[in-house]
Amino acid sequence: MASLHTEVLVIGGGSTGAGVIRDVAMRGFSGMLVDRSDLATGTTGRFHGILHSGGRYAVKDPHSAKECIEENRILRRIAADYVEDNGGLFVTTPADDPGFGDRFLTGCQAVGIPAQEIPVPEALRLEPRLNPEISRAFTVPDASIDAWKTVWGCARSAQEYGARILNYHRVIRLLVDGRAVSGAIVRNEVTGEEFPIHADFVVNAAGVWAGQIADLAGCEGVTVLPGKGIMIAMNHRLVNSVVNRCRMPTDGDILVPIRTVCVMGTTDTPVPDPDRLEVTQAEVDKMLDEGEQLVPGFREARALRVWAGARPLFQDTKVEVRSTRELSRSYALLDHRERDGVERFLTITGGKFTTFRRMAEVTVDALCAQLGEDRPCRTDEEALPDCEDGRYYWLGARLAAREAALTDDQLICECELISRRRLEEAIEQRGTANLDDVRRTVRLGMGPCQGGFCIYRAAGILHSVRQTPGEEANAALLDFLQERWKGVQPILYGDQVRQARLDDWIFQGLLDVEHLPA
Amino acid sequence: VTYDTVVIGMGLAGLTAALRLAQGGHRVVVLARGLGATHLGGATIDVLGYGPERVESPVASLPGFVAAHPEHPYARVPPPLVAESLEWLTAHLPAHRLVGGAGENFLLPTAVGVPKPSALVPHTIASGDLRPGGRFVFVGFRALKDFYPAYLAENLVRASRGMGIELSARSVELPLSVDGNADLSALSFARALDHPELRKELARQLEPLVEPGETVGTPALLGLADAGAVWDELQDALGRPVFEVPTLPPSVPGIRMFNAFREAIRRMGGRFIVNNTVVASESRRGRLEAVAVSAAARPVTYRARWFVLASGGFASRGLDMDWRGAVRETAFDLPVAGVPSPGQPRFLPGYFDRHPTDRVGVAVDGELRPVDSEGRPVYENLHAAGAILAGAEPWREKSGNGISVATGYRAAGAILEAG
Repeated sequence: MASLHTEVLVIGGGSTGAGVIRDVAMRGFSGMLVDRSDLATGTTGRFHGILHSGGRYAVKDPHSAKECIEENRILRRIAADYVEDNGGLFVTTPADDPGFGDRFLTGCQAVGIPAQEIPVPEALRLEPRLNPEISRAFTVPDASIDAWKTVWGCARSAQEYGARILNYHRVIRLLVDGRAVSGAIVRNEVTGEEFPIHADFVVNAAGVWAGQIADLAGCEGVTVLPGKGIMIAMNHRLVNSVVNRCRMPTDGDILVPIRTVCVMGTTDTPVPDPDRLEVTQAEVDKMLDEGEQLVPGFREARALRVWAGARPLFQDTKVEVRSTRELSRSYALLDHRERDGVERFLTITGGKFTTFRRMAEVTVDALCAQLGEDRPCRTDEEALPDCEDGRYYWLGARLAAREAALTDDQLICECELISRRRLEEAIEQRGTANLDDVRRTVRLGMGPCQGGFCIYRAAGILHSVRQTPGEEANAALLDFLQERWKGVQPILYGDQVRQARLDDWIFQGLLDVEHLPA
Repeated sequence: VTYDTVVIGMGLAGLTAALRLAQGGHRVVVLARGLGATHLGGATIDVLGYGPERVESPVASLPGFVAAHPEHPYARVPPPLVAESLEWLTAHLPAHRLVGGAGENFLLPTAVGVPKPSALVPHTIASGDLRPGGRFVFVGFRALKDFYPAYLAENLVRASRGMGIELSARSVELPLSVDGNADLSALSFARALDHPELRKELARQLEPLVEPGETVGTPALLGLADAGAVWDELQDALGRPVFEVPTLPPSVPGIRMFNAFREAIRRMGGRFIVNNTVVASESRRGRLEAVAVSAAARPVTYRARWFVLASGGFASRGLDMDWRGAVRETAFDLPVAGVPSPGQPRFLPGYFDRHPTDRVGVAVDGELRPVDSEGRPVYENLHAAGAILAGAEPWREKSGNGISVATGYRAAGAILEAG
């Protein structure tokens, strides 16, 4: 049986874990990251894509707000290609208290968020679809950010510094050596092989699953409550900038334009199991109602897809908050030496995507302190891969690339403008037969037709690139079809029913995929 | 202008009804929002492929199928009439050279390599019948992203074996393109192959790759205007049987069929008016008298003695579902059957589940007249045909185009019988 050794083992390949592995690697440690699934498939891959200015927390949680604006500035600098500089608006709709705007401005000023009130006609000029009944509007430097690019960017950067990324490796148990954690037994979820990874230090960055990992080290009472939030992607950018309701943060008050869509979010419902997130009709209706407040006619617009993510809400049921007192309420760093008498083991959980880099920094600082090392963090200085020129991503980038290759390459996914070459590269690079993994790399099948045209092509290309048996391509095709269906099924109405029916005709009427040889 | 019959919709059901009515001497106008589903999936006329077991003879299986599905459109058309509609179509659409009938299903490879039961198909597709087994070679084009012959061939061998058919299949890929373009649709290939030079080039590239005894399967792109000639020439050049495999929309065989219909209907005096949506109607004493359609500047009214509604299902916007799940028939606001009650699920979590919304549509009487909840015709002189009818899961049953032909034929028949 193979056995691996590393200085730092990071458990969890969401934004936090990816941030930690990059930070660890940049500080000169050897590092390994494991995730039970693909990177960024948990909470990170299931949020609406906002890079907060902090405005949302300016009144409720100034400490978080300050962290957000600081990290917003850093990410704009180091992750420019993953960021769309869409800007943000806070607007007071007829359902909101106009007085909140003053508290909002004061809150923003206090923590250094450059918020500015603009006349309502100016706001409506910027966002013509916005509810014309709004009474106040404020600009903030919100932006949109691509979670998958960011996580893979951090992973690639970490790899360049020598780290290893082991996706589809599930932690079965932790190796505990006396009073210290010394690694983990992991199982390769593709081959089924189990083997130990010995490590000098283990960081638990399993997010909403962090309690399960802490339990494996005998550190009880790390309770991470999953808070389910649903998001709906609309077929168009109904707004050009991130539009927030100017009120205390609650359900359904953000509309985020990202790439060719905009995403409405979100809800917050406590659920028992982060692996079982179902979208109910009532939640969809609630989002549509709130969307209608921001953009009249929202219900009649075409919804593309709905999904749910689980926020990690940390509660320590063992110790009073002593060990996390100095930290922001937004995330929790648990030093298990202090908390449980277990050495060489840290848990970082909670938080928000915008502050993932900061969370990684404080975690690796604590790791260095425990190891008695003095190695400063540099993740805020060095640009992530493809971001070196400091230019933001822009909506027309893919179209421009397509136009440049118009006559010598094929367009496989018309909705997301994915060329054959790009798809073949992604399949090879990722070394995977799972089209959903490929989707997160190139956005395959994420547009209006939700894979109606590209799934058959992608299966054919997968078959030819990997030269593996047809069953593999068949399984990929059927899995991807089901995966796409999962996201459209709860929002099938209007034009999306038409689309679903066309897809039925293609997959069942024309190709007869339900009788593919198993 | 007064017409005998207004046909709404120009998919396969509307075209079938219009052709039969025009032949019966009616002055027919076809009003359509746009092109119908012929351009998406008009390659083969599948009558009944699965019900739910695989069907070998539609005409033999229909009585049992209808008994199990009393609300199905086929329950309104007696099986002999289904068979008759296919024979009639074969005879009256000679340009399309249809082969087969309701007696027995062909088994034809789909683009993903699944043998699919089809009853009536163009002659360019028919020699792909897999039932006798044999040796097949499938031809792909590097410039065509909608056909993967290696993937097809591999699946086909395994899937056929599962059906008790022994065959061999392999694939070849040709560099053929037009003007060096790397990304051509089947339709672009088809148009280009109407020119003799490209046909010669196709035969020249393919000929050395075909082995003796092989049947040659190509994607369905062998010519648009002149498909028969392309097919003949290629068979002559190769000395082997050639057949087409339908692939992703736009459907080249479907477009050929549409063109054949349009020409036949026009020849008999029928008119097509496109880019028109029904916006209002007039009725008197239970008879529909006129429909108004949106036109460039103002609504235009068409009067007629009979009306055929063939506007399609959700895919073609004959039906529309709003965000609350309410379903509307878009031309006349006819009652819609089978809509799940508010609060009930409309679709289920598994893609292949039987979704509560699948059989939604307009319920009809024995003459295919839309009926209200009491079973009474809404209008004496309005008949419905095709995908708008309630009670079918055509994509699953492999019955969509068969329902369109049978009910389009039956609706026209009911009108012709009435006067």
